[in-house]
Amino acid sequence: MIPFLDRPLVQFGLALATVLILPLAMRSGTLASEILIFGLAVAACNLLLGYTGLLSFGQGIFFGLGSYVAGLGLMRAGLPAPVMLLLSLALGALVAAAVGWVSIRRQGVYFVMLTLAFSQMFYFLAYTFSGVTGGDNGLLDIPRPRLGGTVLSDAWTYYAYVAVLFLVLFATLQRVALSTFGRTLLAIRDNEGRAGAIGYPVRAFKVAAFAISGAVTALAGALHAMLIGVAPLSNIDYHTSETLLIMTIIGGSANLFASLLGAGAYLLAADALSAIWPRWLLLLGLLLIVITLFLQRGLWGLIERAVALVTRTPPPAESLPLPLVGRGQGWGWRRQPPPVEGHPATPTANSSPQGGGGQPGARPAPEANR
Amino acid sequence: MTYLFQILNGLGLGMLYFLLAVGLSIIFGLLQFVNFAHGAFYLLGAYLAYEGVERGLSFWVAMPLAALVVAVLAGLTERLLLRRVYKLPHTFHILVTVGLALVVQELVIILWGPLGGNVAPPEELSGVMILGDFVYPEYRLFVIGFTAILAAGLWWLLDRTRLGAIVRAGSESPSNMALLGYDTLRINTAVFALGAGLAGLAGALAAPIRGVEPFMGVEALGIAFVVVVIGGMGSYAGALAAGILVGVAQSLMATLWPEGARLVIYLGMAGIIMAMPRGLFGRA
Repeated sequence: MIPFLDRPLVQFGLALATVLILPLAMRSGTLASEILIFGLAVAACNLLLGYTGLLSFGQGIFFGLGSYVAGLGLMRAGLPAPVMLLLSLALGALVAAAVGWVSIRRQGVYFVMLTLAFSQMFYFLAYTFSGVTGGDNGLLDIPRPRLGGTVLSDAWTYYAYVAVLFLVLFATLQRVALSTFGRTLLAIRDNEGRAGAIGYPVRAFKVAAFAISGAVTALAGALHAMLIGVAPLSNIDYHTSETLLIMTIIGGSANLFASLLGAGAYLLAADALSAIWPRWLLLLGLLLIVITLFLQRGLWGLIERAVALVTRTPPPAESLPLPLVGRGQGWGWRRQPPPVEGHPATPTANSSPQGGGGQPGARPAPEANR
Repeated sequence: MTYLFQILNGLGLGMLYFLLAVGLSIIFGLLQFVNFAHGAFYLLGAYLAYEGVERGLSFWVAMPLAALVVAVLAGLTERLLLRRVYKLPHTFHILVTVGLALVVQELVIILWGPLGGNVAPPEELSGVMILGDFVYPEYRLFVIGFTAILAAGLWWLLDRTRLGAIVRAGSESPSNMALLGYDTLRINTAVFALGAGLAGLAGALAAPIRGVEPFMGVEALGIAFVVVVIGGMGSYAGALAAGILVGVAQSLMATLWPEGARLVIYLGMAGIIMAMPRGLFGRA
């Protein structure tokens, strides 16, 4: 970890720079808006994966929900866009809290499978009640928002609208991550049992993390529906959940800017490759395998290594799969030496005189006892 | 009478779900490895059976051959790729197998096209069985009988043989097994191949019933997860009971409320999890 890069202001600066550079570097305002929208949803996914240690396969639920809120709110209910966006935040939080509340009854892999099953459930819910959602066709002709009497029909003016919301929510997510609440999420991620033993209501914290993540994801979904003018069924299906998760891991779960990086890299690569070869998903599959084997800290890990090379600080250890320690130390904090597995600061009960070697069978490895 | 028809349909479907889920379950039990590529093995099994029949092989040859090829390919994948990933957190198990599933799915589309096709049931079983005024396709009856025998055989394998004992002991404590001198790496490969082979077999058996198409893998993966969640991970009886339950419920709903058939499955799963977080047969 390069502490400098994890400072909140640097992170926000990177996000701001991206927002400003995209219009200069890209031709398609639609694609640029998509990068910010997915960047937002991926950052929300990262709040669960990177900060809370919850691998949610259900983020598509909230994304799709937001799209439907946009379609129904703007067209059926005739709400103004800002009210509709607030509504998407509220509904996203509500549904995510419910999904989270049921899913966290199980842990680890079971939790992942539950969130995936829920994503299927909501997909079929949307598919079954086609009177509301338009079924396979989705909700069509969703209008762009108005600002000062003019409709933001130009791609780059809508980009500006998205960009402002993106920066506000990015900063909000940063505040959440840096707050006592966010710190507690890290504690839960690193050692759930210990956080509970100290007296934190672990489940309430997890549900709250879900709610925040779901709210932001739903807003991103609403923005996406207004961008493409459709709330498609595909926004709520398994593949959206999968894509959001893939973007999160490609970027790296170390910090929130890494999420924007992941979304951007995925969308740009998809745009370029799908034009060349319709079976580009094959390459994506191979890329995921390569990332697993060689690039476990994602693109952010690459950047860290590059910065380490330039500034001649020791490069971050690639062997550590997830940045478990010292992340985002906040302003003015010195980086502390990373604690070693097994908490060496407190002598363990059976560090007896005969030394730490011990018999292999006597104390099973943490993975062995389930 | 339509209900009996649907219940029989559901039984056949449920047994296929069981084959899928039990493979997923034993792989997870032994390797602590979440296999998101399980649906891809099912997909591959179905397409290999399809290819075999298209090339003029008898279904009786193509079906076991498809399962065998899937098992061998899965074993190789485990050996060359997945083995390097076990020590990483679950996130990367999921990432690598999602990647694998994408690769398989896209290869299937490249090799066989995006449209899918139909597989004729074997000639001996292409007719219908008539009992009074009850008519039922013979092939579906065969699937029920065959998978029932298979399930019994599998139970015998896992519960009564030395191999089964090794597998069960390995899922309790891999380090102790290694300490006793067992080659756990080879056991891992074998079990992974077995689980994937079962998924491939389920695909091959399902092909004459539902045809083949490139996205059947994703659907199967979702169902397999539901079955495992309802039945309780690592429980053979749970996989069987939940598989049949899901299959029969899905078939019955197909007559009562066709559009909502899938929805009911997932709602039911949510209900069961609320009431029994460990699933029907899950261990504490």
